[in-house]
Amino acid sequence: MPLLECRRLVRNFGALVAVDNVDMTVETGEIRAVIGPNGAGKSTVFNLITSVLRPTAGEVIFAGENITGLPVHAVAQKGIARTFQLCHVFPALTARENVRIAAQARDDQRWRFVAGGRVLAQSARIADEVLERIRLTRFADTPASMLSHGDQRLLEVAMAIAQRPRLLMLDEPTQGLSLEETDRAVQTLKDLLRGGNLSVLLVEHDMEVVFKLADNITVLHRGRVIADGPPAQVRANADVRRAYLGGTE
Amino acid sequence: MNWKLGFAATAIACVVLPFLVPQYSLTILIEALIFGLFAMSLDLMVGYCRLYSFGHAAAYGLGAYSTALILIHLQLPLPIGILLAVVVTVAFAVPIAWICTRSTGVSFAMLTLAFAQLGYAMLFRFRDTLGGSDGLVGIPQPAGPFGMTWFQDKIGYYYLVLGCLLGSYLLCRSIVRSPFGAVLAGIRENEAKTIALGYNTRSYKIATVVLSYAFGGLAGALYAGFAGFASPELFFWLTSGRVLIMVVVGGAGTLIGPIIGGVFFVYLEHQLSQVTDLWPLIFGSIFIAFVMFAPEGIWGILVNRFKARPQAPNAAGGKEATDAAA
Repeated sequence: MPLLECRRLVRNFGALVAVDNVDMTVETGEIRAVIGPNGAGKSTVFNLITSVLRPTAGEVIFAGENITGLPVHAVAQKGIARTFQLCHVFPALTARENVRIAAQARDDQRWRFVAGGRVLAQSARIADEVLERIRLTRFADTPASMLSHGDQRLLEVAMAIAQRPRLLMLDEPTQGLSLEETDRAVQTLKDLLRGGNLSVLLVEHDMEVVFKLADNITVLHRGRVIADGPPAQVRANADVRRAYLGGTE
Repeated sequence: MNWKLGFAATAIACVVLPFLVPQYSLTILIEALIFGLFAMSLDLMVGYCRLYSFGHAAAYGLGAYSTALILIHLQLPLPIGILLAVVVTVAFAVPIAWICTRSTGVSFAMLTLAFAQLGYAMLFRFRDTLGGSDGLVGIPQPAGPFGMTWFQDKIGYYYLVLGCLLGSYLLCRSIVRSPFGAVLAGIRENEAKTIALGYNTRSYKIATVVLSYAFGGLAGALYAGFAGFASPELFFWLTSGRVLIMVVVGGAGTLIGPIIGGVFFVYLEHQLSQVTDLWPLIFGSIFIAFVMFAPEGIWGILVNRFKARPQAPNAAGGKEATDAAA
């Protein structure tokens, strides 16, 4: 049984069909990338899976359960963590506090307003572990707003990891980064993804990044899936070359 | 070290003060502490959750009128009456919070204001029970439980208020430092992200509003028990505006700042109103000055002053070293 299954997802914006009958699966332990030219519907698919948007038609099945239309916070509680294309962190809080709040989200006692020492300590410990893994320990006590754009993006990944998700969704993790920053981010992500037993769905614009990270690739074009398979196969696909790689290869 | 000294001095001053000041000043002092508590309760919403309530008078009025009715009609001991009034305030706060948190920003402010004005209107609608424009007068201070009467004189009541303020402050401080408080910080910084992390932020906001009403209701209850009357102005929007100004001038998001802001403004108002009728003008000017030049508030200024101090010797030492080298 796949961990995540999108069944004939459709989303219209007025007359525009942004996502058109998309079928896609992510198996447990798989790293899948979704690529496509601008406006292909990549981010819309992300927002449909995480319930930020409601599908016009179709279903999202996660671990055998239909999660279509659940509130955003409930989807997160099922075990889906995501980063946003436009970086989302808590600017005035330190990196450690950012990650700590993310870790706390999966604690049954996250709401405690008295006698919450155990929750705070445990979340802080997870936060420190994750910051270590993602190589941000030296910024643990720095306010997020003081970090470089690249580090803020990694911080957001750290927050997602701290949620201990069953499925990690990264929306263009290298968007807006300089070349050096991209290299460093990709290296960090690579270590992270290869090391951990994570299932990942990745939207990415940068082809180099995708070929370095993904096991399988889904190619979207004008809201439709035009190819699906391992990187080598997708690279060789004639439709894909026409639609997307044509200009660059 | 400086901090501990400062706190110790403040604590001793608070304990011995009622014996040093004349009766008239003691009245102002008690009112000032009550308003400090009231402002602190609003800070939970404004400073920690960025919920700008423009109707916090509703909490104050609910607390005061509940106390008045309970003490006048049921003759329960004063401390029990005050506690019951807090319970009543919370009972009203739950539906109010549920409705108001459906919106955010300006609409949230307008909804809270609407509920406070609704309370104000009710006082006139149910004139027989709630007294209309006369308010409720002759609120007794029944003795007990266990025959306690110490709160019936002014000095005793001062300690009652001081104890409530201190207890509420410690409780609020532990709340904002709890896991719950961490979520509030997330909501304040980026609510969409907090939801995406898996928090149902609406329920956290509802809880914050209810907590804020509870402490605001306590302040109102203490006021009614002290003044012996409850008047419609307690529900009026001017009260909401005043307490919001106290929070901002004192330093939002610090708990202790709004307490200072409340005490500061009540004193200032008493002093200025004896000298000139134009005191609201001065009030407003101070508010504008703080918003423009010191948005961190009185407490923020104090904290910066204390933080800067340890660095001063270093800077001086560095200068001397440079001078010596030259």
